[in-house]
Amino acid sequence: MIAKGNFVRNLNRKTVAVGLAVASAFVVIGNLVFSYALETLDVQAERLGISGENILEAPFPEYTIPGFDNVWCSVLLGISSMLLIFAITLVVANLLKKKGQDS
Amino acid sequence: MHIPDGFLSLPIAIATFAATIVFWAISFRKVKNSLDERQVPIMGLLTALFFAAQMINYPILGGTTAHLLGGASLGIILGPYAGCISMSIILVLQCLLFGDGGITALGANVLNMGVISVFVPALLILAFNKVTKDRGLFAWIFISAFAADVFSAIFAGVELGFSVPTFQYGLNIAVSAMVINHSVIGVIEGIVTVVLIATLLKLRPDVLSKSPSLKNLQFFQVFNRVERWSASS
Repeated sequence: MIAKGNFVRNLNRKTVAVGLAVASAFVVIGNLVFSYALETLDVQAERLGISGENILEAPFPEYTIPGFDNVWCSVLLGISSMLLIFAITLVVANLLKKKGQDS
Repeated sequence: MHIPDGFLSLPIAIATFAATIVFWAISFRKVKNSLDERQVPIMGLLTALFFAAQMINYPILGGTTAHLLGGASLGIILGPYAGCISMSIILVLQCLLFGDGGITALGANVLNMGVISVFVPALLILAFNKVTKDRGLFAWIFISAFAADVFSAIFAGVELGFSVPTFQYGLNIAVSAMVINHSVIGVIEGIVTVVLIATLLKLRPDVLSKSPSLKNLQFFQVFNRVERWSASS
């Protein structure tokens, strides 16, 4: 049983490492190649003259670090955010699983 | 697809928030009791992967762009409830950190991308499986993923269309504009979902065998029986 548990854990580690590398590649491609965004709603808002400005001021508007107008800063921000989302999801999922086991 | 502040009328914003809260409550309760240990790292990974995938803007019609949603992959691989939580984490952080989607439209954005785009493909796969018994699985996955994007676009269009006078285009224009543009990205979504599930089926069938949407396939019923047998011996 222990051997099987280790096998699954190692398999998970490899899958996660490969998956995070692919996700990082997406962030790089998204910033370097396909960064231009003009979504359907942006076009409609432009025609209607709606500003579409958000009420809350985001710390990193448009996926950029204010004051650092460099694409590699955006790549770094994207990868850091991706890792943050990975960590938050793990915490939420583990908490839910633990709560389920306790109840 | 992310609706900013100022596009939705107050009644629509409140109604979509209420619907989202109901789905959150159901999803958290269901996931608490059903999440398998080996799904946890995959849940984290897929959430991170589709956050990254949403950063890629594909050029589509008339100079506009669109991005993948990822709801179909999350809904089919993790199941609709865990998929809803994953997509909600992405949308909340996109709203709070990057201003992608407004705080007053968060309920609508979660309803469109975290509920509709996740539940529609998961339910379609379950229905297809009952009818076809494993035949043409990848064709159904493609259709389900395409339908996920189209249904999300329809919902977004309806919310905007009913938000007159805040959003001055009527229902017809709002829905057709959203659906036409997101049908194009729906094809890419379908291809990506098929490739991702085919890859997992080849490399990590154990992960897919725990999926609430796929575990009833005959293939996984046999797989799960073999796994239970090997664990007990």
